[in-house]
Amino acid sequence: MKIYIAIITAIAVAAGVASAAVDEPQHSITLPTVHIELKAGPGKDKAETLCAICHSVDYITMQPNFPRAVWTAEMNKKIKVMGAPIKEEDAKIIIDYLATQYGTGK
Amino acid sequence: MIHTRFTRRDFLKTAGVMTAMAAAANFPVSIFADEKRLMKFPEKTDLILLTSRPPQLETPIHYFRELITPNEAVFVRWHLSNIPTSVDLRQWRLKVGGNTEKQVALSMDDLKKLEKVSVTAVVQCAGNSRSFFDPRVPGGQWGNGAMGNVTWAGARLKDVLAMAGVKAGSVDVSFKGLDGPLLPSVPDFVKSIHVDQAMDDDIIIAYEMNGTYLPMLNGFPARLVVPGWYATYWVKSLSDITVINKPFEGFWMKSAYRIPDNACGCIPPGSAQKSTIPINRMTTRSLIVDPAGGSEVAAGKPVGITGIAFSGGYGVRDVLVSTDGGNVWEESRLGPDKGRYSWRQFFFSWRPEKPGKYTLLSRVTDGIGGSQPLDSLWNPSGFMQNRIEKVEVTLK
Repeated sequence: MKIYIAIITAIAVAAGVASAAVDEPQHSITLPTVHIELKAGPGKDKAETLCAICHSVDYITMQPNFPRAVWTAEMNKKIKVMGAPIKEEDAKIIIDYLATQYGTGK
Repeated sequence: MIHTRFTRRDFLKTAGVMTAMAAAANFPVSIFADEKRLMKFPEKTDLILLTSRPPQLETPIHYFRELITPNEAVFVRWHLSNIPTSVDLRQWRLKVGGNTEKQVALSMDDLKKLEKVSVTAVVQCAGNSRSFFDPRVPGGQWGNGAMGNVTWAGARLKDVLAMAGVKAGSVDVSFKGLDGPLLPSVPDFVKSIHVDQAMDDDIIIAYEMNGTYLPMLNGFPARLVVPGWYATYWVKSLSDITVINKPFEGFWMKSAYRIPDNACGCIPPGSAQKSTIPINRMTTRSLIVDPAGGSEVAAGKPVGITGIAFSGGYGVRDVLVSTDGGNVWEESRLGPDKGRYSWRQFFFSWRPEKPGKYTLLSRVTDGIGGSQPLDSLWNPSGFMQNRIEKVEVTLK
């Protein structure tokens, strides 16, 4: 039993040293997955599916409430400038959703 | 008010320290009102989660009590979701080419054969403190924690360029990392600096942060370090350096990270910017770290007001502190000097006499006389926030 513990400790120490070494040739990490739930409302599915092609939807939830004009400009920027493959009719649904659930009402 | 972004967990973690400092007693409930939460990513400590894919993680302010920010606490900011999670140094090469005598592909061993230089420099996101803009602007809603002070070490960029041989007539040098877009329609993250600037002795390709390797999320195995300039230029997980004989016109230079083309980089709040230039050198700023905004301070004993101050490469001449909302200013004592790109700590012993509410301010003057505005300068991208912060405390 004592031997087992010693061996396990030795392996653990060796592994710890290896992962901390600067010269270890292969360096890898595993990113955590974080689930963010958007507010319920018409268009939630479109927003979750289409926005999440490129990024997690906490990009939405971290924003303060913006007027519709700002959300519209953001949506247009994503499509025209950032290359998001979102159809015009879907963009309208998402803008409505954002302006309603994450908007100022203006 | 600043320092309002502690979460309950963060509060619990730091409560012991705060109590020991006798500077804080009760935090108002309102500071827990927002939904910021702490999250641990690989090789990083608990940081404030802004976004998870790609990761954007903010440093809790209490880490700024130290002169050097530990690697695991340095903020994380990626633009595109396809970020490197595994690098094999046997395969990794830094490719240098374009308008050069030859194309070279340097291994880490090659890079380490060049003279090793180190610099302590503030790394700060262009959008640090964006959440304090008024009116608010879209983008990463950072508090004040998208910065850190790190001792970087690596090879000089100019020595690396010399291995390829920059040809006459070169204009810009572009930098690309291992990250990339998930879709081909999305512009890849590539930044550039002018070829003359690239010859600056202080710009390095860093393979060490604070004496050890870079965490993957901070740009393993090597990143560009452009001291004094915003971190948008400090391309992480560097893979390609390209010298070009005309101005670089990639999206992240020509369309993104632009500021108004005037002395302040600012326009009237809420207006649209017309003529713009690429963002560049950091503005000068200071931050009171302790006491935290909203805290209660015990009467009858000296209160240590401490913080940090830095500039875009001009050092720190002095930091003045006001404890009466900006009427009377007194000079603070500065901490160790780690060079003109590092931040300086400042210390001020305050002896308040009467109980009540006090507004604490700090104001830095850099080595060339630059300082901070009393009110927030505004631009539509939320860049270069450097207003004089007001910290409200109650003396009981």
